[in-house]
Amino acid sequence: MNAIENIVFLSAALATVSGFYIQAQEYIRSMVRGQFIQSILIAATIFVLAYAESSIDLVVLGLLVLVLRGYLITELLERRIPGKGSDLREKEIGIASHLLLDLVFIMIGTFIIYSLVFSGINFSIAGNISGGTILVFPLALFFQGLFLIGSRNTTFSQITGYIEEENSLVLFAIFLIPVPLIIEASVFLDVLALVVISSIVVLEKFTHNPLEELRG
Amino acid sequence: MVVMLNGYVETLMMTLSQYFFVVLTAPLYSGILAKLKAMIESRRGPSIFQPYRDIWKFLRKETLIPRGSGFIFRYGPYVIFGIYSLIALIVPILVPVPIFFTASADFLGGAILFSLAAFIKIASSLESGSNFMSLGAVRTASFIFLSEGTLITVFFAVSLITKTNNPYVTNNFLSANPFQSLTLEHIFATLAFFMLFFYETGKLPLESPGLAELGMIEEGMNYEYSGRLLAINKWSGHMKQYILGSILLNVFLFPWFLQSSFPYFLLDIPIMFLKWMLLIVIVAVIETTLAKMRLFRILDYLATAFTFSILFLAFGVLLG
Repeated sequence: MNAIENIVFLSAALATVSGFYIQAQEYIRSMVRGQFIQSILIAATIFVLAYAESSIDLVVLGLLVLVLRGYLITELLERRIPGKGSDLREKEIGIASHLLLDLVFIMIGTFIIYSLVFSGINFSIAGNISGGTILVFPLALFFQGLFLIGSRNTTFSQITGYIEEENSLVLFAIFLIPVPLIIEASVFLDVLALVVISSIVVLEKFTHNPLEELRG
Repeated sequence: MVVMLNGYVETLMMTLSQYFFVVLTAPLYSGILAKLKAMIESRRGPSIFQPYRDIWKFLRKETLIPRGSGFIFRYGPYVIFGIYSLIALIVPILVPVPIFFTASADFLGGAILFSLAAFIKIASSLESGSNFMSLGAVRTASFIFLSEGTLITVFFAVSLITKTNNPYVTNNFLSANPFQSLTLEHIFATLAFFMLFFYETGKLPLESPGLAELGMIEEGMNYEYSGRLLAINKWSGHMKQYILGSILLNVFLFPWFLQSSFPYFLLDIPIMFLKWMLLIVIVAVIETTLAKMRLFRILDYLATAFTFSILFLAFGVLLG
């Protein structure tokens, strides 16, 4: 494994670790800022890939991720935090148990999906074929987002989980698709959808309990 | 025959050097750390030799045994001291080549010996009949399931990287292949072990170093000990800190520069001292900059360390 591959693996792994950081937060603002860090890490991965591949498309994508996901979404979500903002937190969360459950969930999910679907895929960085192993990180991030949505009641946590899933899709796609034009479009649409949805949903209700919207 | 005898004498000298180096200098590093912390906090602080003075003072004092306590309470400190003495000969603390007793155990054996020492300490605390010691024992037992799990999985991770569970081979492999230190498994195993080192040596800003009952864990289990038994317990604590710190330095963080040939291995004494100074500065900065948190947060902290260790162990298997 050369230096570029090492850096890409490390930044992708750190993006996965940032998912644990978000999962372990009680305070809404910390959670939103965790999402900011995750977006920065994904942008950094894209910039390293852009350097390795000498791709201007990837540079543009990196800038889009940085500005839209890193800055815009974080700013909009932080503005929506009611009250003093920094004081608002989700109470009675067992961080240790959540972390361990999250670990079990993502390990099982990632292992099954990777083994069944992605183990035969090859991925190359700067011409070096390194197998599809790097896809483990976006897969793990996806399951973390899913677990965050499932394990928390507040709307902010669930929106952050959704953004985490979107981040994992961006990370996933940059490792699979050569020219990520479709991702750029999806980034715009996702941001638009997220902003609109979060603005409405957060104002309407602060917490959402399982299945309550489906009761007659 | 003469060559064999020379080899035997050299190994014996290396063994004795490593053992006495650990036993005699372990309290010094605790003293230097305490002094540096005091300096950062703008205090004069105790002398760096204060741990030696404490041990000497306790050795001369009368030993009181609580009524109703059994033989584990009386002899447990000696057994624990013996266990740490054995671990000191198993891991590459000073000499990076196998010495006498090295073959007694591998990484996993070392981890099990640490667990055994913790078990004996808990058992002897519970035997005292003291509420404070029971409190320390219960707290330790509440947290140890995650810390020991982390210790074992961290060693598994290192074994996977180096394809061996012999700490000496690991040290040589990482010294010879510096880029292996940049693998994900190694980076996160190092991080997990660093977090574990902080917890195991009572450096977390969650734990009170003194006898304040709200935050005491390790100190709680020393509560009823006095005289020689307390001195042995304190000494064992310094040895444990030194052994864990040296594993962190020589196996995970900074495995380079150790000399293995006779008599140049003696140069390892100043080399290890310098390495420890680096570790002490890092520990002192972290310890003095983090705000104190509530006791039950230790579980969250250890869960994070466990997550790091097992996640990248599993990813290591998946990534091949």
